[in-house]
Amino acid sequence: MFRNSYDSDNTTFSPQGKLHQVEYALEAVKQGSAAIGLRSATHAVLLTLKRSTGELATYQKKLIRIDDHVGVAIAGLTSDARVLSNFMRQQAMSSKMLYNRPIPVARVVQGIADRAQTNTQQYGRRPYGVGFLVIGRDETGPHLYEFSPSGTAFEYYAHSIGARSQSAKTYLEKNFESFESADLATLIQHGLSALHDTLQQDKHLSTSNTSIAIIGPPSDEVENLASSGAAKRGNFRVWENDDVDGLLRAWRRSRGEPEDGPKEDEPAAEPSAEQAQSAEGSEQAPEAPGEDVVMSE
Amino acid sequence: MSSIGTGYDLSVSTYSPDGRLFQVEYASKAVEAAGVAVGLRCSDGVVLGVERLLHSKLLVKGSNRRIQSVDDHIGMATAGLLADGKHLAERGRDEASNFRDTYAQPVTVQILSDRLSAYVQAYTCYGSVRPFGISTLVGGVDKTGSRLFCIEPSGVFYGYRATAVGKGRALARTELEKVLGKVDEAGEGSLTVRQGVLELARIIHLVHDDNKDKEFELELTWVCEESGNKHALVPADLLAEADAKGRAALEEGMEED
Amino acid sequence: MNQHPAMWGHPMTPHQAFNAHTAFPLATPNPMRNQHASSPVSHTQQPLVTGTSVLGLKYKDGVMLAADNLASYGSLARFRDIQRLHPLGNHTCLAVSGDMSDYQYLKKELDGLLREEEALSLSDSHPALHPSQIYAFLANLFYARRSKVNPIWNAILVGGWDATKEESFLGYVDLLGTTYSSPTLATGFGSHIAQPLLREAFEKKAGIDGKGELLTAEEAEALLNECMKVLFYRDARSLNKYQIATVTKEGVQISESKSAETQWGFAEALRGYGAQQQ
Repeated sequence: MFRNSYDSDNTTFSPQGKLHQVEYALEAVKQGSAAIGLRSATHAVLLTLKRSTGELATYQKKLIRIDDHVGVAIAGLTSDARVLSNFMRQQAMSSKMLYNRPIPVARVVQGIADRAQTNTQQYGRRPYGVGFLVIGRDETGPHLYEFSPSGTAFEYYAHSIGARSQSAKTYLEKNFESFESADLATLIQHGLSALHDTLQQDKHLSTSNTSIAIIGPPSDEVENLASSGAAKRGNFRVWENDDVDGLLRAWRRSRGEPEDGPKEDEPAAEPSAEQAQSAEGSEQAPEAPGEDVVMSE
Repeated sequence: MSSIGTGYDLSVSTYSPDGRLFQVEYASKAVEAAGVAVGLRCSDGVVLGVERLLHSKLLVKGSNRRIQSVDDHIGMATAGLLADGKHLAERGRDEASNFRDTYAQPVTVQILSDRLSAYVQAYTCYGSVRPFGISTLVGGVDKTGSRLFCIEPSGVFYGYRATAVGKGRALARTELEKVLGKVDEAGEGSLTVRQGVLELARIIHLVHDDNKDKEFELELTWVCEESGNKHALVPADLLAEADAKGRAALEEGMEED
Repeated sequence: MNQHPAMWGHPMTPHQAFNAHTAFPLATPNPMRNQHASSPVSHTQQPLVTGTSVLGLKYKDGVMLAADNLASYGSLARFRDIQRLHPLGNHTCLAVSGDMSDYQYLKKELDGLLREEEALSLSDSHPALHPSQIYAFLANLFYARRSKVNPIWNAILVGGWDATKEESFLGYVDLLGTTYSSPTLATGFGSHIAQPLLREAFEKKAGIDGKGELLTAEEAEALLNECMKVLFYRDARSLNKYQIATVTKEGVQISESKSAETQWGFAEALRGYGAQQQ
């Protein structure tokens, strides 16, 4: 795919002042399945759509705990995400060890953003091919940040990244003003609605492809507190599989749909071009296995 | 553009036959697309202002600031690639603290600008890096008084009484010239920082293109006596007042047209 | 007595004749100097210019710290206008005893840290480090240095007000990395002489568990004045010129230097001080 000669390395500006390699890296983020983040005055929530590379494979996890008070959702190259989240964990530990202070969320995000920036300015490197939604809670309250390969970190009320995230964004933009005062249950329902909008036709949210992470005070209305110490303490916790069943049911009820969901929970696979080269595997099992993480350059 | 396709514009370590460094010029293009950043020296301090363009309405209000602190008494506003701005500010903080460690006194704005410009210049010398895609305003108050400098992607820096970088900088500079034109040789008629805040807000509103541009938030910082000679955000009430007056002045101007 | 700093605290041996022309370490060749690189490395062996004990006390509105203005060179009252109370940001204050050059190093280090924190806070609006966090940093620093057998030769009190938790903070850390917290604290000689007085007055009002009412600002200051006076009477490295730092939610305030009223009439009766009695 020839575009022009200004896109082959990351240290070259195009005549318009653009960095094509960085823009292509942003495309890598869009190959990953969707992740949604939103926050209220008390809580921050992440919702992700997991994919599996084949019928014998598990669904690839997209939520990573950084510290008690920080967690991320990823979209894009999983291996890059592991490097960056590891770095975030080190920063978080270092803050805890040195100052006995949970690292300020903005700083831990800025840390990886600064790292990503150097990958856009030096020859022989490539920009990271992963985007993060970071939720966290510190002395200034709950936060949601987006980290992107261009080396920026923005704070949002609500945001989405990954495949078809624009549909989710449309939903979020329509509703975000009510998020600030929303309770946890309502916040999650908005999140699920937004996540649902990123699905292809005839695909559905299910206990196997939906995972939810929460930071903020526990709520026994939506959470199984007995099974999670992190939840009881209001720390970062991930709910998936059977634990999201209740949430999905409540969400379907709120939309006036049958509570059990569509009969066929997992309709037949229908691999698309997007899925075949997906970064984290496809939402449904594709025919050709093994192309889950495209790292070769 | 004549440079395109010649092959002389792919690396910053390559001159074109007529002696130009196209990669540096292209880097400046990244600056031209960015929201305007304005700086103004006043009789009692320095004011920095930026038009923070909002690329999404989901962005948190008042967050994601573009002006940064380098030292207690020095602020920095960048226009261009946001991540490059963060990088240069980090370097600025390193330089400032390094200077303090060495000389046991705060760095002056001029020396800091000099060191930062040398750093920026180094990124125009090697094929292994690209130039910074930012123009930087460095403003502060030191033992020599209030100072304002602007560093370009090429690594040159000049001192100014007032200047603007980013989209609409030409119009902004014209306005700044009008404001400073009223000041005579003896400095009579020069602005206080409080007046400067209002002027910068007005100019940023004027420069902003409501039809073409995304929405924006006004961001203003200053270094003056009121802020304890520290680089700080302009107080919220003054910011709101400046924002409202800037908008009102714009509407008034439209009616006249 | 040999007043050379290297000999402080050591008894004189018979062959150590007093040599007025000796200047340490230039005149007497250091045997360690000429040894091979593989020989043992030695770091600081002793403090040189030192400040004596400092005191700290929690009271109703926050914390008070006290330190005198003396920096001694051995037993010589060398510098008599040294401030040993150092504010850090808006809500923390250090009171430092021990080596004064290490104290100056600490000031520089911490001021740099706080300056960077403040610069970053313009971007993310995150509050500055709380007293307990600065204390944690100091404790780590001291312990790391003593583990390299190169201690920072101080005993420090950190007093402050935690604006988020709305409570006061008072902690002790020394050259060994030892840490402890208490509503009344003192370093050095003061931990023997002043700490019991502070405790007695504190517990009289607040109870042994400290749950009762705390001292008022006036009572706390009077108590510190009294303790500083007692220390001046009994501590030969002290000076009757001291300052008090007050940390409340309003911020840090450091007083002008002041002196306690003292009576020396009894000294006449002391052998070796007044007129010779026998």
